[in-house]
Formats: sequence, C-alpha cells, structure tokens
Amino acid sequence: MHRIRRWVPLQRLREFSLVIILIIVVLIFGNQIDNYYTPRTFNRISSTVALITLVAVGQTMVVLTRNVDLSVGSIVGFTAYYVGRYVSKNEDMAPLMLAVLAMGIGAGMGLINGLLVAYGRIPAIVVTLGTMAIYRGVLVEYSDSKSVATRQLPDWIKELPQESILKFGEYELRALPAIALVAVIVFFFLLLYTSLGRRLYAIGSSPEAANLAGIRAPRMVTLAFTMCGAMAGLGGMLYLARFGTITVDAARGMELQVVAAVVVGGVNILGGSGTVIGAMLGAILIGTIEQSLIRMNINEFWKDALLGLCIIIAVTVDRILINQLTPWWSRTELQRMPEEPHAAV
Amino acid sequence: MRKLQLLLVALVLLTLTGGLVRAQDPEPIKAEPGVELNMVLLPKTLGNAVFDEAHEGAIEAHEELENPGELIFNAPTPDNAIPGQIEIIEASITQEVDAIMISANDYEQLLPSTTKAMEEDITVVTWDSPVSPEGEDLFIAQVDFTEVGSVMANMALSILGEDGGQFAILSATPDASNQNAWIEAMQTLLEEDEQYANLELVDIVYGNDDPDDSYNEALGLVDSYPDLELIMAPTTVGIAAAAKAMQDEELCGEVAVSGLGLPSEMQEFVENGCSQEFALWSFKDLGYLTYYVSYLLASGAMEAEEGVVFEAGRMGTYTIEADPNREDGLRVLMGPFSVYNADNLEEWAAGGDEEGEPEVEATEEAN
Repeated sequence: MHRIRRWVPLQRLREFSLVIILIIVVLIFGNQIDNYYTPRTFNRISSTVALITLVAVGQTMVVLTRNVDLSVGSIVGFTAYYVGRYVSKNEDMAPLMLAVLAMGIGAGMGLINGLLVAYGRIPAIVVTLGTMAIYRGVLVEYSDSKSVATRQLPDWIKELPQESILKFGEYELRALPAIALVAVIVFFFLLLYTSLGRRLYAIGSSPEAANLAGIRAPRMVTLAFTMCGAMAGLGGMLYLARFGTITVDAARGMELQVVAAVVVGGVNILGGSGTVIGAMLGAILIGTIEQSLIRMNINEFWKDALLGLCIIIAVTVDRILINQLTPWWSRTELQRMPEEPHAAV
Repeated sequence: MRKLQLLLVALVLLTLTGGLVRAQDPEPIKAEPGVELNMVLLPKTLGNAVFDEAHEGAIEAHEELENPGELIFNAPTPDNAIPGQIEIIEASITQEVDAIMISANDYEQLLPSTTKAMEEDITVVTWDSPVSPEGEDLFIAQVDFTEVGSVMANMALSILGEDGGQFAILSATPDASNQNAWIEAMQTLLEEDEQYANLELVDIVYGNDDPDDSYNEALGLVDSYPDLELIMAPTTVGIAAAAKAMQDEELCGEVAVSGLGLPSEMQEFVENGCSQEFALWSFKDLGYLTYYVSYLLASGAMEAEEGVVFEAGRMGTYTIEADPNREDGLRVLMGPFSVYNADNLEEWAAGGDEEGEPEVEATEEAN
C-alpha cells in the first residue's frame, strides 16, 4: 500500500476519481435510457469527445501558464471552412499536407493571441475574447455567408469518421478518437518529461521563481498559444470530416465545452497543475453527459441547463472525493515513522 | 324607336360586361424601375444555404429594377436568433430604410419592432416565416402551409409503404413558426386521413438548424427507437445533417431520410441511397418575388390590399389574397412544390449546378 502511494502521485488520484464519476454517470444514464449500452452509443460519444479532447489538449497548455484561450471555437470554425474550401478546389491534395495546412493556419491565429498576451501584456481573457469575435468575423467575410457542402469534398475526408483503426466486436476505435488519443499521449509525455513541459508548469505555478530560474516566460506563453492554435486547426479539419456541411457558424460555442472539459478534468484555472489525461477525462465526461441528454425525453429548453447542472454536480463530487482522500493519501511513510519508534521504546 | 331602345340596351350590356371583365381581370400593376429604395433582406440566420439562394434572387430583382438604393443582407447568428433580428430591425429603423423583408424567427416576439417600423412608414414584408398579421404588410408564402403537411405525409407514405412504420421528425428550433405550422398540418392529416393510419410518429426533436446539433439529434433518434424507419426533417440543415449521420453510421437503407432539402446539398445522399426523396420550392424565386412585392409597396405603386393583382418580372402575375391560415392576414402564394428523387436529380445536376431550373413536376396530385 505504501508503495502504491509512493508511486501514484496525487494528480493520478484526481484522475482516478474522475473515472469513478464517469462510471457512475454511465450507470445512471444506462438505468434511465433504453438501449443505452450499444456499440453505436459508444462510437457516437467517442467521435464527439474526440473533437473536444483534441482542442482541450491545446487549451491545457495555455491554462497551465495561467492564461485561457476563448478563441478556439472560432479557430476551429475558420480552419474547417478554409480547409473545406481549399480541398474542394485541390482535390488531389495529400491528407497529411492538408493536416499541415490546417495546423499552420491554426498556429498562425494562436501566434497572434500569444504575441498580444505575452508581449502586449494584455490579459488573455480580453485578447482571446476579442480575437474570438475577430476570427469569426474574418470567416463571415471570407465565406461571403456561403457554406461548404459535403458534395464538394473528396471521398477520403468524408469517409474518415467511419474509418476504424481497431475493432473489438462491434466496438470500434475510429479514426477521430484514435487521432485524439495519439495527441493526448504525445502531449502527456511532452508536458511531464521534457524541459519544455516543465517550464510551462513552472511559469504557471510561480512566475517569479520561473523568472529567477531564467525561464523566458513571454516566449513560452507565445509558444503555448501557438500550439493551442495548431491543435484547434487540426480539430477544424476533423470537424470538417465529421460534419461535412460547414457554415459560418461552425463550432460556435465550442470554446465553452473545451474550457469546461479542461476545468472539470482538474487542470487548475490558476495555472501550474493538471494533465492532458485529466483534460481528456473531462472531455469524456462532458461529451457523455451531453450526448446522453439528447437521448432523454427532456424539453429542448432544459437541456443546456441540465448539462450545466450535471457538470457542477460532477465537479462537486470530485472535490469532495479528493478532499476526503488527500489527507489519507498524503500521509507519507515519514509522517508515520515517529509512531513506530515510540512503540518500540 | 324600338331599334334605338335595342341599341341602347345592347350598349348598356356591352359596357356592363366590359366593366365586369375589367373588374375580374384588371391590368396587373407593374413596377416602375429606377426608384431609389434602401431595402433590408433579413433571413432567419446566417450560414444557411437556402437564405443565400433567396439573397441571389433578391439581387437579381434589385438589378432588374435598376434600384440605385442599397440592398442590405443581414442576419443574426443561430444562437442569437430572435434578439439578433430585433436588433437588426431597430437598426434599420434608425437608418430610415424603405423596406424590411423578414423571415421571422418568432411569430410574436418581433411584433413590437416590426410595428414600430410600420409606424415609421417602412414597408414590412415577411417571407418564408411570417409574424402575426398586425406587424406586417403582407406575407410571401412559399407554398400553402397545409400543403407542406400533405407533401411530407405523402413522402412518408411512399417511403414507408402501405404497412407503415415508425418515423420521427427532426425540426429546426422549437419556436420556428413555419416549421411548427407544417408539423401541425402533418399531424392533423395523420390523425384524420385513413390512408396514413399506419404511419406512427414517435417523436419530434429539434436540431436548432445547427449541423452539429441536428447530426447528434438524428443519431439520438436512431438509438432511442430501434424500429425507426424514417427521419423526416422539414429543414434543409436538418435533412442534410441527418443524411450525413446515417451515412457515417452505415445506416442508409435501414433508416431513410426525407423532408425539405436543397438539391445541391442532397444530391450525393440520393445517389448513395441515404435519402430517396425530398421536396422544396425555389428559394431563389422566393427572394425574387419578395423583392418585387416590397419594391412595389415601398415605391407606392401598390397597396397591400386583398385582390390587388401585380406583375413580378419573370415570374408573372400574382394576386394578394387573404391568408387562410392566419386571421386578418394577407399573403401572396408562390408555389409550386418540387419533389426530388434519383430520377429528376440527375436532370437537375445536368442542367448546371446553381443556375439550372429543375424540371420537375409540381405535386398537384399531392392535395
């Protein structure tokens, strides 16, 4: 038991409690909804979650540095539209190149956010609230309020959401969740085991200490925003693949889902702690609640309110669980030591 | 003397009948081109392809009538639909435009603003989706609202067959006045008409005319009702999203998708069998006709009164009539309905993507 405690840090505990809550949520919905435990429910929720997860991974990096990016919904919408337009004119474009293009556009938009926040010294919430509206406005202008239709897209992009990578019976791991999973794994190691990742944590937990340690915060913050933009860009391309029809309104409001996923996932909004695994679990929890509510026979006007209520309950339960478990978990062997010698004497 | 009397009677008769003929078929009012009028085209929301088509039609009429004024196209985003429309109407009043052409997001809530606009001598014409009659000059009805119900019921019948089966409706927003009227008309028909007795409407859900919401709602329907055979979506956003969802989940053939759809968006889903049949009217024509009527009213060439006959450019002659669905309401009925399926969609596609007028039979027999 001591050994487990020593090797499993507190952060893992928080993720563990999220998994428990997720199981409770699934059991409750399973009890309320007929035909809930079907492969299709799983596949559908996993595709929706994949999009939120991908963007939430980028958002996590920004939040770690005590910032927030509210423009991700607009970046997803713009890249989805731009890439859709582009690929309809260049049908033989290689998928990988298209992904690079999408990430490049997203990164450019993220870079603007980052420069304004880091060097312009404007609070991130103000900058990204502004660029959220600006990027959406650029999209409205660029699109001439016309939409991208499914028939204009090449077959591979339309078939991407159905592609399955792994199959367990009828439960599939489809392309979108697989891409999101890869992103989570890559960024998990990037944040925990590289100096780049550690520096992001350092800036978030103590800017002064990070400064004294010689970390150039503005450069790192800019980088975090740029990477966040790139992930939103990739998210835009997958959004295009999933929905096919892209209007000027695509992914509007997604930023709220993403920020909610990150916060529910235990990433501290004041910076410095949290992991992408947590963000992914947050995304899964929110995606599951949202998609399951669709199945319940509830008045349309109540669904959003219920989603909010479910999130608050989930976070509260999470806090209570953590508060109960932390003292017990944190008692290290060192703290226990004194008792034993006394007993011996 | 007798001859004179006969002649007089004949003369009187002649003038009388002549007068009668004229009363029955008066010279249609024609538009005088070149009047400067600033006009606002205000559809329900941005980012919906059908409204872009309506815009194209309005531009066509705007150029044809050589209006030196401005044609302003503005709409709210879906999440801000009703307040956004109110804001745009208020702003248009401040700008002292001459006419506002609205596809209303709500039957009642826009009334204070549209009434205020009318008090300021602004012509208020609704199209696609009306407001309550006291807040508009008249309504340009795309088709008769009860006909939409019967067209949908007939498509459901032809897809599900005599034996019937379960189907569900995926609508736009829960407070859209046109969709709600169509659904109601369809429900009434299902209850009253024996031939639809086997069609079982299991649920009505709302995708808010948002592709993601509609996509997820469509899949939710399939999960909730394992025996579902048809999703009927009386909205172009909903039908395309539902067809895409069925395609992604490889459910085409099991669950059919039908409703009101744009040929340009639905063509590929008909080709791959995800949708057999859908219907729509021309939104381009609707925009064109709306512009003509608004121009005639705003320039003072025509009054919004029952029985007035006018000419709307290439679309021919129309009469302003009492709206049978709304008390004290006036309407101009456009029509007709076009039903699209694999056979005529090919023709439509061959006729050129955007410009070609589809040569499809109007569904007169639907009534």
